[in-house]
Amino acid sequence: MRNRLIFSAGAVVAMLALSPAPRSQGAAQPGSAPDLSGVWLVEKFQPVLFPNGGAPLQPWAEAKLKATNPQTDDPNLACLPEGVPRYMISVPYPMEIFQGSASVLIIHEGTSVLRQIHMSRQHPKDLDPTYAGDSVGKWEGDTLVVDTIGFNDKTWLDGGAIPHTEALHVVERIRRIDHDTLVDEFTIDDAKAYTKPITARQVYKLKPDWEVHEYVCEENNKYTYQGK
Amino acid sequence: MRNKLLIFPAAAIFLLLSLGGSTFAHHGFVSWYDMSRSVTVKGTVTGFDWTNPHSYIYLDVKNEKGAVEGWRIELGAPGMLARAGWRRDTLKSGDEITAIGNPAKDGKPLMHLSKIVFANGQELATAL
Repeated sequence: MRNRLIFSAGAVVAMLALSPAPRSQGAAQPGSAPDLSGVWLVEKFQPVLFPNGGAPLQPWAEAKLKATNPQTDDPNLACLPEGVPRYMISVPYPMEIFQGSASVLIIHEGTSVLRQIHMSRQHPKDLDPTYAGDSVGKWEGDTLVVDTIGFNDKTWLDGGAIPHTEALHVVERIRRIDHDTLVDEFTIDDAKAYTKPITARQVYKLKPDWEVHEYVCEENNKYTYQGK
Repeated sequence: MRNKLLIFPAAAIFLLLSLGGSTFAHHGFVSWYDMSRSVTVKGTVTGFDWTNPHSYIYLDVKNEKGAVEGWRIELGAPGMLARAGWRRDTLKSGDEITAIGNPAKDGKPLMHLSKIVFANGQELATAL
């Protein structure tokens, strides 16, 4: 399977045209949602969530982690998507947020995956497991709260090979704390893999002059995929 | 001019500090390269892959014994490199450059690039 999800800029525009965004340019107006749209880049690349170890893993997950070699076993070396939450935390490329009232769309340069956050529905009851899962969002004041389930178990939480199951549940609280700064606070739980929820935080900086570039990972991944 | 292989601890410290740099790609750089060391090589460009997920410079380097070693020098993705001032025609075969970056842990002639120095002394870094 490949992660080459080809999206159409025209389709994105059309979707958003159907659900006009509140365009308050950053700061929230009374009674309206803040505008998160724009190109954002992680302030600090976090390749691993637990650089000193200590992830709260159940015994089977701990054993799986120890048996995994991040140097050779990373699914992303074969250009498979990082998935959620990894590409929100551990990928040092920009993402663009398109904000509508019915959905918030995120295009990430590092994966060319289109993430959809549905603002006007709940999770479907019978979800096919996917790399990015199924995300639904709601506004709590100036914070976009995103709930994601429906994951497959083919991704890692980070570049350090922390595993998860299809029971993965990610809650994000996304807030634009000032014009140039976006903060995403993660609560990551998996009752079948972790002994307690994992928390993480990523800060993004606005890049007003940037555009998201094409990124076709399979173009020349022979060294990363086949080894050095 | 004789090409030399040089190690600069100060440059290694700089590279460690720049680990959080935005052009730091995520496909295993930390695993493959010794990010605590820096190596400097001077040679002749034989190729330049301006490609995703990573770009590569191929450099013929004459070692201290006079033999030519082919180095493969790894950079980030074109998107981020372009934001740092790189272009697809920044390098062409025959260019004489000096490359500074992290060496491979296993001693092979591989490098994770930090910056290049052109023959005229102009420098171009990979970080923003």
